[in-house]
Amino acid sequence: MTQEIKVKAPKRRKNASLDKRKARAGWIFVLPFVFGFIFIYLPIIIDSIKYSFCKMVILGGGQKPVFESVGWYNYKTALTDDPSYVQKLLEGLADMVFDIPMILIFSLFMAVLLNQKMVGRAAFRAIFFIPVILSTGIMETIEAQNVLSEYMEEAEGIESGSGGSAASEIISTMDIEQMFQGMAVGQGLVEYVSVAINNIYNIVNRSGVQMLIFLAGLQSISPAIYESVQIDGATSWETFWKITFPMISPMILVNAIYTIIDSFTTDSNVVMSYISEVYNKTDGNVLSSAMAWMYFLIVLAIIGIVAGAMSAYVFYQKRD
Amino acid sequence: MNAQNIDNKPRVQKETKNKIKVDFERTPLKERLKAKFLSLFFLKKVVWYVFRLILLIGIAYIVLFPFFSKIAGSFMGPDDFVDVTVRLIPKNFSLDMYKEIWVEQEYLEAFVNTLILSGSTALIQTFICCFVAYGLAKFKFKGNGLVFLAVIFSLTIPHQTIQLSLFMKFLNFDILGIVQFLNGGGLNIFGWEYTNETLAAIDIIPDTWEKFVDGYGITLTNSFWPLIILSLFGLAFKNGLYIFMLRQFFRGVPDELEESAYIDGSGVMHTFFTIILPLSVPMMITVFLFAFSWQWMDDFYVSLFFTTNSETTLMPDVIGIPNTLVTEYAGQNLYYAAIRNTCGIMIIAPLIVMYLFCQKYLVQGIERSGLTAD
Repeated sequence: MTQEIKVKAPKRRKNASLDKRKARAGWIFVLPFVFGFIFIYLPIIIDSIKYSFCKMVILGGGQKPVFESVGWYNYKTALTDDPSYVQKLLEGLADMVFDIPMILIFSLFMAVLLNQKMVGRAAFRAIFFIPVILSTGIMETIEAQNVLSEYMEEAEGIESGSGGSAASEIISTMDIEQMFQGMAVGQGLVEYVSVAINNIYNIVNRSGVQMLIFLAGLQSISPAIYESVQIDGATSWETFWKITFPMISPMILVNAIYTIIDSFTTDSNVVMSYISEVYNKTDGNVLSSAMAWMYFLIVLAIIGIVAGAMSAYVFYQKRD
Repeated sequence: MNAQNIDNKPRVQKETKNKIKVDFERTPLKERLKAKFLSLFFLKKVVWYVFRLILLIGIAYIVLFPFFSKIAGSFMGPDDFVDVTVRLIPKNFSLDMYKEIWVEQEYLEAFVNTLILSGSTALIQTFICCFVAYGLAKFKFKGNGLVFLAVIFSLTIPHQTIQLSLFMKFLNFDILGIVQFLNGGGLNIFGWEYTNETLAAIDIIPDTWEKFVDGYGITLTNSFWPLIILSLFGLAFKNGLYIFMLRQFFRGVPDELEESAYIDGSGVMHTFFTIILPLSVPMMITVFLFAFSWQWMDDFYVSLFFTTNSETTLMPDVIGIPNTLVTEYAGQNLYYAAIRNTCGIMIIAPLIVMYLFCQKYLVQGIERSGLTAD
């Protein structure tokens, strides 16, 4: 009896259903990530949370530093004792609220533009993706303390006698304000647009990946839809709002979330640069963990709200 | 034009046995050109075309100007920075900055080291991300959604949040307490420690290795290992984004391709390596380009894992003022800024060369990705 079962068991394994075999193959594919996530990444995260409740004691003689628990001390220090953390936090959140719609609008606009057929499209695409590759990390650090570019941009200012720099203030704020005053729109919008235009270098630099994702989304819209609305006599304005916009709306959600993540993880973010600054001070490394975790939780809440609010309006094309 | 020809019938001019010459009543060229080019439709097209071109050139200028200004500044001599008439075009052309950075900041050494580091990590990341993304895209198994959530989670956590624990992890690197166990430290699983005499008696790692084994783990800082280990498990910088992009790409690959391969008797792995990977070369080059250049430009992980007394020169170490160029004069600030910019130019120069070769694939990769968010 027992022998028979022994013989049967491996046979059954060999004939596992196709679904089961595919599931097993799937696990093999994701195994590296799952292994690393559970055994390396999770311990790091847990440690980081633990450290934020600790004090680091460095023992002499090249020994491993010891962590002593101090409860909520680091969090309290960050919120009440630290002179500028709360202020930086508010500033960072305000920047985010300001930048994200601007980056989304700009990258969608550029993607639509770069998706049209025209001479030199490949060259323009290549140019617009340069910042994705080159304006990160080291270059960002260099750019942050660059006095030379401002000096050189003044070149045009001297000729016209205004003294304003060319690229950082492309259009003088006065012109825009005058233009908008005639249109009788709110003062808030005027300021928003004029600040955005003067900030355009920053926005262009930060919207590379978003542009890429939008472009890929635009490519996946079937040309047959455009053809049929064209036959029905829609203008390109109508086509954009009635076809392109709904079809691209899932990508807008993805991009909104990506932009939030990206803008709060880059080094140029005010809060993050402040946290890095704190990290390098004495006793600052545990404090900076506490600060970073608080900031992370706030941003996570924002992502939740944005994703929840936007997914109500996202249009999914039914396939099959 | 006479009345007979108003219906625009072809008029037979000459007829031979197998040839016929007909003459149409055509609208004259002038009229046709007028209809084509003087319409409102054409005007709108031209206006849009010009507007678009100006806009694109303008934005391209914004993108490229900082690079122009850096390149222009890098060829200037010290005197040009006090001369008010010099802005973009140098008067005293000099290559001193390049020369001094090359020699004094050990550019070549940094270049070779960074090339090895970025090349190896980018290759590993590309393959691992392809692997994971393919598993997530094409196989239905329990926990698929959970794994994808974990990928997004790893993308969301900013590296500043975990920098202290990352550093501590690789200062005493250990998985599941294996090294600690072998070194006589007892059990340590997720921070839960247990030891007794019999466990402490296990000491397999010889004492001569103790200089690598600090405390209860292996010291991996000041080497390439931390970044390579992170890449091996798809946890390095922005790997979540690569997995996401590749997953979307693989979802767009029709299932029939693999099914036909399976029917022909090809295994899952064989299918992946012989059919799927060759198909996704443009996308892989895109990911490689990202991984390589972000590692090349990275100064966060490099400064975290390579402490100040490290002997390895990497790209961030190139930035600085060479001793021979240290001067005291009115234009000092600008001059030093120009030197730092020149360092930047020299750091990105290899990337620009690579980008020129790869940008074709980048655009191709986008066009074929068929990214959808469902």
